[in-house]
Amino acid sequence: MSKLLPKKTGLIFFPAFDWAISPTHPEREERLLYTRDQIFEEGIMDLPQIEEYSPSLALIHDLARTHFCVPRVEDQITEAHLIAAGAAILLADKIVQGEIKNGFALVRPPGHHAMRVVHGNRGFCNINNEAIMVEYLRARHKIKRIAIIDTDVHHGDGTQDIFWHDPDVLFISFHQDGRTLYPGTGFTYELGGPRAYARTINIPLPPGTTDDSLLYVVDNLILPVLADFKPDFIVNSAGQDNHYTDPLGSMRITAQGYAKLTEKLRPDLAVLEGGYAIETALPYVNMSIILALAGLDYSGVKEPDYLPGRFKETPEHKDQVRRIVQELRQRWETRDNAPIEKRDVNGNYYQRKKHIFYDTDYIEENQLEKLRLCDCCPGYLIIDTKANLGFNRPATALCISVPAAACPKCRAEAGDVFQQSKKTSQYRNVYLQDKHSDTFYGYDCEKSREWLTEGR
Amino acid sequence: MYVGVDVGGTYTDAVLLKNNRVRAMAKIPTRENLLSSLLESIDTILKDADKKEIKRIVFSTTIITNMIAGHKYDQVELLLIPGPGLTHDYYKIKPYVHIISGAVDYRGRVTARLDKQEIDAALSKIAAGGCNKVGVIGKFSPRNTSQEKRVEAIIKEKYPDWQVELGSRVGGKLNFPRRAETTYLTCATRQPYRAFLDSVQQALAEREINADVFILKADGGTLPLKGSEELPVETIFSGPAASTLGVQALTPPGETSVVVDIGGTTTDLALILSGKPLLSAKGARVRDQLTQVRALAVKSVPVGGDSVLELDGNKIIIRSERQGQAYCLGGPVPTPTDALRVLGLTSLGDQDRAAEAMGILGKALGREIKDIAARVIDQVVENISAEIEKMFWEWEQEPAYRVWEVLHKHKEKPRLVVGVGGGAAGFVNKVADRLGCSPYIPQYAAVANAIGAAVARPTMQVSLRADTEQGYYIIQEEGQQEKIKDRNFNERMALDLAKESLIKRAAKYGLEVDPDEIEVASQEVFNMIRDWHTSGRLFDVTVQTPRGITGRVGDGGDIDV
Ligand SMILES: [Zn+2]
Ligand SMILES: [Zn+2]
Repeated sequence: MSKLLPKKTGLIFFPAFDWAISPTHPEREERLLYTRDQIFEEGIMDLPQIEEYSPSLALIHDLARTHFCVPRVEDQITEAHLIAAGAAILLADKIVQGEIKNGFALVRPPGHHAMRVVHGNRGFCNINNEAIMVEYLRARHKIKRIAIIDTDVHHGDGTQDIFWHDPDVLFISFHQDGRTLYPGTGFTYELGGPRAYARTINIPLPPGTTDDSLLYVVDNLILPVLADFKPDFIVNSAGQDNHYTDPLGSMRITAQGYAKLTEKLRPDLAVLEGGYAIETALPYVNMSIILALAGLDYSGVKEPDYLPGRFKETPEHKDQVRRIVQELRQRWETRDNAPIEKRDVNGNYYQRKKHIFYDTDYIEENQLEKLRLCDCCPGYLIIDTKANLGFNRPATALCISVPAAACPKCRAEAGDVFQQSKKTSQYRNVYLQDKHSDTFYGYDCEKSREWLTEGR
Repeated sequence: MYVGVDVGGTYTDAVLLKNNRVRAMAKIPTRENLLSSLLESIDTILKDADKKEIKRIVFSTTIITNMIAGHKYDQVELLLIPGPGLTHDYYKIKPYVHIISGAVDYRGRVTARLDKQEIDAALSKIAAGGCNKVGVIGKFSPRNTSQEKRVEAIIKEKYPDWQVELGSRVGGKLNFPRRAETTYLTCATRQPYRAFLDSVQQALAEREINADVFILKADGGTLPLKGSEELPVETIFSGPAASTLGVQALTPPGETSVVVDIGGTTTDLALILSGKPLLSAKGARVRDQLTQVRALAVKSVPVGGDSVLELDGNKIIIRSERQGQAYCLGGPVPTPTDALRVLGLTSLGDQDRAAEAMGILGKALGREIKDIAARVIDQVVENISAEIEKMFWEWEQEPAYRVWEVLHKHKEKPRLVVGVGGGAAGFVNKVADRLGCSPYIPQYAAVANAIGAAVARPTMQVSLRADTEQGYYIIQEEGQQEKIKDRNFNERMALDLAKESLIKRAAKYGLEVDPDEIEVASQEVFNMIRDWHTSGRLFDVTVQTPRGITGRVGDGGDIDV
């Protein structure tokens, strides 16, 4: 093909019409049915600006690069998960290789509530499609700086957890205020670990926020921060539950609002997250996002009951949003001189405790997360986890994650921790995720059995 | 006895089959008057036959292709009801498009009303322009035909003799732009096509041929002559379908083959996968626009036996044009046929002139004549083989929307490369070699297309959509919407209804369908859950008469390759 032709927008549409969490669950076969009808009837796939791709499966290895699935990756996923993650990876590949200008993985199941350690399904998610794709890009294409903008109505707590200590991944999530919605987190004070301060930015918006305030946040906070951070690749976790008809959220964003949002963010890759107004929102919002990505006129995409100026915010509401933006702009400006709280430091480690609830599977998990504070590198991470699985025995595991940029000393130290932990009877499983060599080990302490996955 | 005729762009081929054996064949140049070519070929093969014994005549013609390419049809105007979505500017590019208000959504619910005044104004404009053929196409109209029908009624009231075509009847699948294009073509070609059919019928009657007459469609099925009037565009591109069916009849059942038809300046490719011709995933492309016409997946590569060979520096360029016959046959410029002659891969033409042709290229390149010939052949073979590989690749890349489909992705390798059409057979061996397949040139390769027409079967599809929440179902092809009376309407009932409609529809065309033979082409059921309860079900069922051929011809059962 001629290089002079403008590049297309890549699209993978994978509605998983034969997959559901349960027959009546919001995450069911029917979810993207009307979206399919709309984009097929509009002839979107025939447009010269669109290239449709067929999805392929992510490798177990790609999942192990991001997650610690307990006890094994295969126990936490179905093929549908591999396809959804594989779709994001495939499009990212095409974008980096310059085959397409940007892409949209319109796939199920979603992933942004899946954290680094996975004991089950939380917030409809088992594995984190975007995080898996980001780690793939870094391992395979050596892309360093990546920004993830989560535009789902729910806080992207899974993605936040995975990149909490990562200074090279900027994670920005706007969402409905955690005091009013699952998962109840995502406050302005959640700003990332000591070595990645303000590389996590949470923008909790009051219920009832409209297109106006949302675009204010984009113009006055997200875009300036992105301009400072200068990412090599921008990912959009494109949840559609901010729509004014969503049954779970209480926001008032329209299809037009989503189109403008996408146009401003100019993501390299958008990945579908939530959105459960399957008839009243999804067909229109998905159209909007596709057209905006492809640089096409989206002004004709309107919900049947849409009227311009239908939604108004009170002045107090507007002020509240402006205050949040102001506060976060300040945090961002001071990002490089934030002190580490002494009480969080224990010897060579910075540590925090976490309690995690898996709403779908009713699992309670307690974690102690320790970051090795090293002067030469970002340091490795140790997570001590215990999950209460109801009738079964609790799952205990020690998970060690070594970043690709780890120094030789840290790598050796992490290896020692792995070997020693294998000998104690404290854990049922021990894992070592060595991103430096792209090799991931797992060990079953009761059966004294080790396994590993390797890159190419 | 069966008769098959393929009126192609260059030749008209005809065969007479008796008990699956070729009894007579004809190959004559196609003249501008398609009907006279058609009749001459029939007269030739029926010279010694008893006309009363002829049960069926199937023919494939380029009539629609010619009409469209030559713009030999009347003016058509379209009334579009696009509603919200893609910008209307996108449709307004075409000068014959009038946009009117109204909208139906994906569930078939009316979300915006028609505007009578607006419609009247558009019609006055059309009338003032002297046009009397109108297509009415609504977005999602297959889900609710009422707005299209209402506009039709308004037109008929004011202009009773106008020809009106509705999108929902012509293109029942989801794709509004393709539906609009298909409706336009239907509207444009229906009258001249009918005139053509009438003259065919008259000519056959004069010859006292009382056989059933069918016409071949792009998907390799046939329609009774009379019935094809409704959907003339479906008969477009039936030539490649004829060749493909011919190969199906001339090779063992279940075979995976590539059909290679090397002509003067183009090579047509088609695939038969495990014995079934591959259908295009997107529908036929006409006037550079996709339509809803079901067609076989065929690809035309711009290279053939008479292609012009030229030098560009020290590269040999194969031009996609023709300046006459091959040099060895007295033509003006070197061609791939000359290369074949030099290497002894064809007995066509004059050996010395072929060598001279290669010499013209070789002198500039400072190479031996045989070297040059080999390079030309390699290049042609590479062009064709690369396209074949791409077709398989594209087929493997077809999108999948279910987990099951992704896990069971199709993957198949061809075993045979079958040459048809009689042109430049020398390339077929080389292409097969390059692809690691066996070459095969059937005994009747030169008239495989006519054989394909002769063995083609009638095909018909019916699609049903039922929405139990709204309590109605639609038979797409009939544009008829009915209430669902049974509260326990289920998948079984949806399927039965579809089958029943197919049998009824077939009967209208004079076709008899065995209920046990009906195939389910696609079947989809979705539970609609609202507030954690099932509020209804959506059924989409498409049934069809069996695809395939009436029998294998000659040694088509047991070749040894
Ligand atoms: Zn959500
Ligand atoms: Zn270190």
